[in-house]
Amino acid sequence: MQSGLVVKAARIAIVVALFAIWEILSRTGIVNPRLLPSASDTLSTLGELLQRASVRKDLAVTATEVVTAFALAVPVGALIGFLIAENRYFAEVAKPLLFFAFSIPKSIFLPMFILVFGVGFSQKVGFGFFSTIFIVIMSTTTAVESVKVEHLTVARSYGATPVQTAFRVYLPSMLPVLLEALRISMIFNVTGVILAEMYASRDGIGHQIATWGENFQMKQLLAGVVMIAAIAIAFNELVRWVETRCSHWRT
Amino acid sequence: MQPLANITPLKPAGAIEVRNVGQIFKTTTQDVVALEDVSLDVKPGRFVVLVGPSGCGKSTLLMMMAGLRQQTSGTITISGAPIPEPDPNRVGVVFQEASLFPWLTAEENVEFPLALRGVTKNDRRARAQDALKLVGLDGFGKRHPHELSGGMKQRVSIARGLVQDPPVLLMDEPFAALDEQTRMTMGDELLRIWAATGKTVVFVTHSLTEAVYLADEVIVMSPRPGRIVDHLQVSLPRPRTYEMLSGDAFGSLRDRIWRHIRKSA
Repeated sequence: MQSGLVVKAARIAIVVALFAIWEILSRTGIVNPRLLPSASDTLSTLGELLQRASVRKDLAVTATEVVTAFALAVPVGALIGFLIAENRYFAEVAKPLLFFAFSIPKSIFLPMFILVFGVGFSQKVGFGFFSTIFIVIMSTTTAVESVKVEHLTVARSYGATPVQTAFRVYLPSMLPVLLEALRISMIFNVTGVILAEMYASRDGIGHQIATWGENFQMKQLLAGVVMIAAIAIAFNELVRWVETRCSHWRT
Repeated sequence: MQPLANITPLKPAGAIEVRNVGQIFKTTTQDVVALEDVSLDVKPGRFVVLVGPSGCGKSTLLMMMAGLRQQTSGTITISGAPIPEPDPNRVGVVFQEASLFPWLTAEENVEFPLALRGVTKNDRRARAQDALKLVGLDGFGKRHPHELSGGMKQRVSIARGLVQDPPVLLMDEPFAALDEQTRMTMGDELLRIWAATGKTVVFVTHSLTEAVYLADEVIVMSPRPGRIVDHLQVSLPRPRTYEMLSGDAFGSLRDRIWRHIRKSA
């Protein structure tokens, strides 16, 4: 426990040190403060931005796109992944192809999404979906494969129905892997949506960040970066917390 | 739920009858005869051990008795009725290690067969407690499998096999992964539990010593195609003791089995 506290303290110290170095570099003029506004300025700008109705609206737009893309990609990807994992022949055929698809940088398809969907909600959601689905499919196949044959045999020998097997064996076996997959998928999903917003959009926080950058509004730009980083880290930690609660038995 | 009323016991509960059973595995290239013309009778309450080299089909035979696999030819009856699918009221199965669900506690693992049939929580808990007490794990119910030793895990597996009080307990190399000392202790524990419950036990193992030490009868099988090559009665007195291992009677039985296995290897 003692060492756990020390590790935590060290982590906090690193974050504080990073902000302190940032502050010093900017304040002393070692780095041009116009290029790197100080940490305190950035944080106060962030506070001010969060008050602005337009920024809140942008955040809401982005959040809606992210949630929609996620809500579509996860069940569709999970279903495809499940079918692939359950069918040996299909798995053999599809798996290398999925690896091919997964290795392609998704960003090169963005112009096509704009041409097909136009600039707007469906373009962002479509691209977010596309960025996410491959990782969901691959994680789901891994999750299904993590179910032990021994456990399925035990369930069968005690007369479990298919539904009972699904809920009492498949689901709990898969849950830790699935939660991890969910967390990683969200990273891909947010990246996809924000990239699409930065590339071509009229609203959304990604669009806003791109605009601040183009207009050389460094304070706002950095504040936006800190904001998105904080939101992403918060979501990630939340799922990780659920993960550790659900997978205490994994050793 | 198995409609129990439909099963008319022609034989007393716990009797196992295997008649001319064959098993052929079809692969893409050829048919593999895993078992050929196996017949065997196990009387209620007997402790029977199946031994044989790897690939002799002893586990396959056990899985067929459990209703987990169907024979290609012949018949198998448990308590007088065929077993076309698993029936936990007639047969409890204990597998090799790692068959416990790691996300459930010891008592939840034992309750698992009951939970499948909708037994109420209180009833379940009480019966799991009894089963855990029987296998010597009183007070360990709240632990997860990773907090238990290998021997304790197998005790939980045995408790799970017994919780519905089936007349037959089938055990597929349950102690194979345990170290020698734990294995001996678990053998004694199993004999104690068997004596206390009067179950019919069919036990599959690779270990000749374990086979002779535990059994009333040892069935020796040959490699593919699996056949019964010998059927020994072990008349050593019970309770079995460690000293018997070095005795002449024990040695000659073990040698007899070993000669069959060496011949086929």
